[in-house]
Amino acid sequence: MDYTKQIQEIASKLFAEEKIDIFIGYRQNAFDDNQVPILVTVPADVPNLIFTDKSVLNLTNYLKFEHTRNKRVGIVVKGCDSRALNMLLTESQVKRENLYVIGINCTGVLNEKGEKAQNCLECVMPDAVVYDEMIGTPSGKKEYSVNVDVKELAAKGLVERGEYFQEIFENCIRCNACRHSCPLCYCTKCCIDQESAVLYNGSNTPSSAFHALMTWSLHLAGRCVDCRNCEKACPSHLPLHLLHKQNEMVIYENFQQHLAGMEKDDRGAFYKYSMKDPDDFIM
Amino acid sequence: MNFSVFETDKNGLQKFYEETIAKNETYAPVEKFGKYDYKKVSALPECDPDSPISLTMSVKPLFFPRSSKIMKYEENREGTIITETDEDPLAGKRVILGVKHCDARGLQVLDRVYKWDYIDADYQKRRENSVIISTRCNKADVNCFCTSLDYDVENSDAHDIRIINGLNEKIYIQAVTEKGEDLLKGVPGLQFSVCSSEVAGEESAKHFKAFDSSFRLKMNYKEVNEKLQNSFDSPEFDPASKNCISCNTCAFICPTCHCFKITDEKIKDTGIRYKSYDSCNNGYFTLMAGGHNPRPVKYRRWRQRAMHKFVYYKERFGVNLCVGCGHCAISCPVNISIFDVVNQVV
Repeated sequence: MDYTKQIQEIASKLFAEEKIDIFIGYRQNAFDDNQVPILVTVPADVPNLIFTDKSVLNLTNYLKFEHTRNKRVGIVVKGCDSRALNMLLTESQVKRENLYVIGINCTGVLNEKGEKAQNCLECVMPDAVVYDEMIGTPSGKKEYSVNVDVKELAAKGLVERGEYFQEIFENCIRCNACRHSCPLCYCTKCCIDQESAVLYNGSNTPSSAFHALMTWSLHLAGRCVDCRNCEKACPSHLPLHLLHKQNEMVIYENFQQHLAGMEKDDRGAFYKYSMKDPDDFIM
Repeated sequence: MNFSVFETDKNGLQKFYEETIAKNETYAPVEKFGKYDYKKVSALPECDPDSPISLTMSVKPLFFPRSSKIMKYEENREGTIITETDEDPLAGKRVILGVKHCDARGLQVLDRVYKWDYIDADYQKRRENSVIISTRCNKADVNCFCTSLDYDVENSDAHDIRIINGLNEKIYIQAVTEKGEDLLKGVPGLQFSVCSSEVAGEESAKHFKAFDSSFRLKMNYKEVNEKLQNSFDSPEFDPASKNCISCNTCAFICPTCHCFKITDEKIKDTGIRYKSYDSCNNGYFTLMAGGHNPRPVKYRRWRQRAMHKFVYYKERFGVNLCVGCGHCAISCPVNISIFDVVNQVV
């Protein structure tokens, strides 16, 4: 998967036609084979753009920052990224007319070890669902499958599962990088940033980390698109996908096989009402 | 004063570690989810003193915890009653294994701010009660640049005992301070041959030369420092920080960042007050009660970070705040290195 040439061509065309102010893509890191985001504002920087199977980050995260606010933006999105973009469009966080979206029909990206990333192995929608221009051949929607480690965890008892997550929370350093790297966490003031509360007080005690991470994961339940930006950002390498995938699995099973951001204007599972929704938990 | 130097091999070093762990309360890098953090250990197999620098958290939290209780309070009709917390800063002595040179240097740098106008008693107590045994890296990581800065990595006195891997398969255990000397004497069963400090020094210099040549990043520190002093209004801060997602990771894992926030765990009229890490990259770090924010945009926050590390701290305390460990670049989700930022600006 190497679409470097196509993306550079499209970007320079967009700049030449003055359709965009800023282009968000990937750039090769100078000293290793990782790629980092690049925000191109002048056509001279276009040759730095690159797209290969090492383009792992979800660039829609940059749509919430000051550099892109109220600007015309060109952006590269893979399948999972486009689902996040769909969520942002549905939640009125970005204007579609301000965006020029280059959709990639992704064949999966590689992790640090050079293997196919875990979320790509279980990817439901490798094709971009929002795009103005498409690169690559579409491979269509895949069967939903839950990963083995999530299934294993779900099969465990409540106590055991609690203990495992406790271990995760104990290693959390409360830097909140997971939240900041999430494209769908766009609130300017987050509820877990409170300064004097019982549940969230910014301290790095296990209980505070527990409440913060749990609240964060529940706010993303039915919205998370499994791009794993949070996991890549976590300095403690915590397996945060377990939280989200667990939620995703429960929602898929109970809410008419709902998957976030698959269709335009499809609200999160908790934001819409259906007669088919289970009500056995309502007392 | 001459301190003792021992010459040994890999097995001897293992034995030394085992003895140390058996005799003392010991902290060492313990692996969890592929990342090493300093935790209390009771046996050598639990930890790895030679943990790679790119995967090891800073030792700072052992001295300046990620969160510590400051006080408890209770409000009633008469007023507020403040009580001490039940947290003991550090009762006994402890040994820390496997500290990297840059990390230990970070503590030395921090000492200056903690001994400044207000003396942080808890920090001082933790510092006094800790013996730091350092290991020198054999090879620099891609983001390291410690040898480019204004301190002598080779003859650093930031640690108490240093362990040098000679190129001749020998390992030298050298006491650097009196605390270290006391610990070395207190470990019985050490049957290492005493080595003259010249031989150890020579081997150490050889090893350092090999280590020094493995650096990808080199900086002309003096020039950078001088130029940065006049770069406050540089337009380059904006492009240099464009990629930043303001996630705070760099500050939380930095061995010298020392900003903190005060928060309360409050239930009705009683509460516990905490002191926890904070970061100048936070959008609301400088947000004032009236709503004004002097650093509302990313480049201003990055300017503060870079200037504090390379200019302000030096002006006030005479040493550079950045120790060149590269932790920030390793942990940054978008690989921004403070090295690149300052080099782009000057």
